[in-house]
Amino acid sequence: MEQLVELFSQINPFDLIQVIFWGLAGAISFYFSIGNARVWTSISIGFFLIFIGQAYAINPFAHYYKLSAYHYIIGTVAIMLITHGFLEYYVFCKTFEISGQKIFVYLSTIVILAGSGAFLIINPTPGPNTIRNFKMIEHAIWIILCVMNLELIRKIYESIKDATISRGFIAFGIVFICIFLWKGSELYLQIYQWDKDWQDIIAVMTEESSDIDKYPLRVAFSESVSRYAGLLSSMSVGGTFIYIYKLLK
Amino acid sequence: MFLLPKGNPLFENLAATKLKLPEVMTKLSSGAFTGYASFIFQSSTTILVFESGKLVSTLLETQKGERQNGFEALSSLAELMVTANSGTMNVYKLSKDLTMCIHALLQGEILYKAQELKLIDIKTLLEKIKNDHMNGCLRIYTEDRSAIIFYKDGNPLGFFHDGSHDIETSSSESQKIAGMPGAKIDLYSTQGAEELMGTDLLKVANIQSIWETCVTRHHSDNAKISKEREERDQKTVSTKRAELEEQFKSIVVEYIGKAGRGIVDKEISDQGGNACLVDTAGSTKLLAAVDRSAKLLISGSSNKQMMEKLTDLITAAKADF
Repeated sequence: MEQLVELFSQINPFDLIQVIFWGLAGAISFYFSIGNARVWTSISIGFFLIFIGQAYAINPFAHYYKLSAYHYIIGTVAIMLITHGFLEYYVFCKTFEISGQKIFVYLSTIVILAGSGAFLIINPTPGPNTIRNFKMIEHAIWIILCVMNLELIRKIYESIKDATISRGFIAFGIVFICIFLWKGSELYLQIYQWDKDWQDIIAVMTEESSDIDKYPLRVAFSESVSRYAGLLSSMSVGGTFIYIYKLLK
Repeated sequence: MFLLPKGNPLFENLAATKLKLPEVMTKLSSGAFTGYASFIFQSSTTILVFESGKLVSTLLETQKGERQNGFEALSSLAELMVTANSGTMNVYKLSKDLTMCIHALLQGEILYKAQELKLIDIKTLLEKIKNDHMNGCLRIYTEDRSAIIFYKDGNPLGFFHDGSHDIETSSSESQKIAGMPGAKIDLYSTQGAEELMGTDLLKVANIQSIWETCVTRHHSDNAKISKEREERDQKTVSTKRAELEEQFKSIVVEYIGKAGRGIVDKEISDQGGNACLVDTAGSTKLLAAVDRSAKLLISGSSNKQMMEKLTDLITAAKADF
């Protein structure tokens, strides 16, 4: 208990609020997946997994590198699931075809996560640099799929703009714009090696240097965008699901 | 059609539409029948006069008074027997002499037609009939009464008038009618019975062929009518179904928006066409499919309202089909 209190005292309050909001969004989206049609399952499970992915900040065992890496893999699986869900919804809007069962989405997700876990177990323990690579790949995938999802959402909205649910897709559009800014700003910092992880790495690897001091404004701006967009993302996801839940009630 | 003496009735009130003309002809012909057969239909009456099994004359008269005879009358009779809903056939056996007179009445040479009695000298006319040894008949009639005097070789065979069934020997009724104001006469003459024997329409006309042609044409007409009716019915049903489909789509579009039209099109296509709208199993599946899709697009309460409207529409439509 003392360790947990000590852990929470070390966490940036802003990060803690963000995790709490993601927790709420995850709970709402997971609840939403239970009572709704199969097409929503991938989307809501994906958003729930974002919370799991973000929860490393409050995970007392996150200092285990393999577990830390697993958080980022879950984050990657999350956006892939969400994209799969939107793709299915788009196909539904174009063909009005509904197929498959919810159980397969749950089982497939479990199998993918188990496979990812097995991948980490059978491979050497990742170092800080490798974990940072996992994080970068996650962010890159998020950026690409965010753009793709925005385009899918636009097309879905065009197809069903006079249906009740269409306004919910506008909300999803706002969600992905927030996520794009959040993940994009983090990837920007990573690409230019201005991120905290890289600074920590070079602190112990003295032969490496950083030009972070030359661009304090860009770094500060990007960090702010990352914080606020991340927070807005979690809040907008929770709000969107509540809104869609009301629309479909 | 004027009344004819009934003589010895062999058959009366047989259902003409259930008989086959070739069989009737064969029976009368092979039995060396002498007399006449009458076929009475709603639109016309046909008389076939037989002399020792030979068909010596045919006459068809419509309700409007139009007449046909010979091959034309036989063809029309065959067609009536095949196509008419109801009709009766009567067969009356007569003496050869009377049969000859009936022939005269139906198809004999017309010497006088609608001649007013007061304008002619009846005594002279009767003398002429006698002197010329005329075979035939003299019809005396007013607007509502008539009598016929049959002659053989210029001598009266007998008298027949409305209300009687057979030839009478008394001329009193004929004299009464002749004395009435406005009385008219028709005088028909014919060859003798022996000369008539040289005529047989059955040898000239192929009754079997006439009959088969009528039957084939009737079947063909029936098939055509049936097909046309079926096509008309199908078109009507098809139109009604299309209207129902449109009403169904309108309700779905009202709640879901334009995507609703696509959903209904797809689901109806999956069910094999809009016939499923009035089919119990099909409509149940269709409603379930629309409900499933609608849940992804509209609220539960709106969906419930929409499904109630759709169910009501289908229930009402089923009663119409």
